[in-house]
Amino acid sequence: MPSPSTDRSARLAELLARTALADQAAYAELYRLTASHLYAVALRILREPSAAEDVLQEAFVSVWHHAGSYSTAKAKPQTWLTSIVRNRCLDQLRRREPDTVTMTRDEDESEMEFETPGPTPIELLVAGAEANSVRDCVERLDGSHKQAIALAFYQGLSHAELAHHLRQPLGTVKSWVRRGLERLKACLEGAGVTR
Amino acid sequence: MNLSRPDRSERLDALAAEYALGTLDGRTRRRLDRIAQTDPTVAAALRGWEWRLAALTEGMPGITPPVHVWEAIRQRLGFSGESDAAGPGASAPWWASLALWRGLALAGFALAFALGLLLVAPTTERPYEGVVVVLAGTDAKPALVATGERGSRFLTVKAVATVEVPAGRALELWMLPDGRAPVSMGLVPASGIDRLALRAPVGIALQDIPALAVSIEPPGGSPTGAPTGPVVYTGRVERFY
Repeated sequence: MPSPSTDRSARLAELLARTALADQAAYAELYRLTASHLYAVALRILREPSAAEDVLQEAFVSVWHHAGSYSTAKAKPQTWLTSIVRNRCLDQLRRREPDTVTMTRDEDESEMEFETPGPTPIELLVAGAEANSVRDCVERLDGSHKQAIALAFYQGLSHAELAHHLRQPLGTVKSWVRRGLERLKACLEGAGVTR
Repeated sequence: MNLSRPDRSERLDALAAEYALGTLDGRTRRRLDRIAQTDPTVAAALRGWEWRLAALTEGMPGITPPVHVWEAIRQRLGFSGESDAAGPGASAPWWASLALWRGLALAGFALAFALGLLLVAPTTERPYEGVVVVLAGTDAKPALVATGERGSRFLTVKAVATVEVPAGRALELWMLPDGRAPVSMGLVPASGIDRLALRAPVGIALQDIPALAVSIEPPGGSPTGAPTGPVVYTGRVERFY
C-alpha cells in the first residue's frame, strides 16, 4: 500500500512532467503544493523575507524552464526542488561575503538576528529526518558534529561563521564537519538511503 | 586539479559534501560549480550530496510565501490571466457590503475561544503583546485563528475547524483596511497550522486594519491582486496591547 509520502511524490513527479510540457495548471498546482516548504527552507537560510521571496521566484522560474531535467534526477521531486532552492540560497549567501574569510555576524548581530520561528536547527535535523531512516544516522553523530552540521545546513553558516558561533578554532570546526559528514554518509549507505 | 580521477574520489566526495552542506567559501563554491559544468563526475558528486542532504528538510514546517511571489512568477513567465478566475463583478465589491460587517459583530463571541488559545500558548517572561483574529463564517463558528506577536514578522494561522475548500482552490487571507480595497496577506491552510511572513512586524502591518477576511481563490492565490472568489470567513483584529 503506498504511503502518503509516496503518493505525494508520485503526484509531484506527475506535475513536474506536465510542467515540462508547458502545462500552466500543473505548474500552478506544483507551486501550491511545494511553495510553503521551499519558502521555509529559503527563509531559514537567508533570514530575510525579501531575499527568500526572490530565491523562491527564481527557483520556480527555473523549474518552469527545466522541469524536464527532473526525469533524470535520482531524487524525490521535493528533494530535487529543495536542492534547487538551497543551492540558490547558498550562492546568494556566499556572494554577499567577500572572498577572504571574514566574520559576517558578530555577537551583537546574532542577538538581533532575523527571528526564525519554531524549532532550533538540531530539533529540525531530527524532525526532518524522522520521515526516513536518516534520523538514525543523524542521531548517531557525536554532539559537536551534529551541532556543526545542523547549523551549517539549516542556517547556511560557513566554516568561519561556525567557528565564530561555536567559539572553536577554525580547524576544529572543519574537522567536526568533515568527520560528521563522513559518518553520516557511511551510515546512510549502510541504511540504503543514498538517494 | 582533476577531481574526477579515481584516486581523487575521496577528496571529491568530501568537497561535494561540504558544497551541499554550504560550508565552503564563495570562491571554492564557484570553482566547483565551474568544474561541474564540464565534468559529469564532479557534477554527479555535487548533485548526489545535495539530494542526500535536501532530504533532511522533510518534515520542516512550511511557511506560506506572500502572494505577490506567485504573481511575479506568472508575470516573468508571461502567463496570461487565469481563465477560470472570476472577472470583476458588476455589483458593489463584497468588502463594502453591510452583511460582512454585521457578520463581524456576530463573530465577537468567538473571542472567548481565542482567549482560551492564549492561555495554552507557551508562557514567556513577558505578557503576551500581539493580535488575535478569529475568522468565522456566517454561522459565527470559528474556522481559522490568526495570532502574531506585535514585534514578530510572522502571523501564525491555524485551522480550528474543518474548512471546506473546493478541489483545486486555495484560501487567501486579506487585510480589510477601512474604506479601501483588501490587501492580500498570503494563502492560508485549510487544515493544520502555517505561518505567513509579513513585510513589517505585526503591530505595524495591522496597525490600521480593523478586520481580516478569507476568500476562495485559484491555486497560488488571486491572479488580480484583489479577491476574486467568495468570502468565506471574516474576523476583527483584536489587539492585546
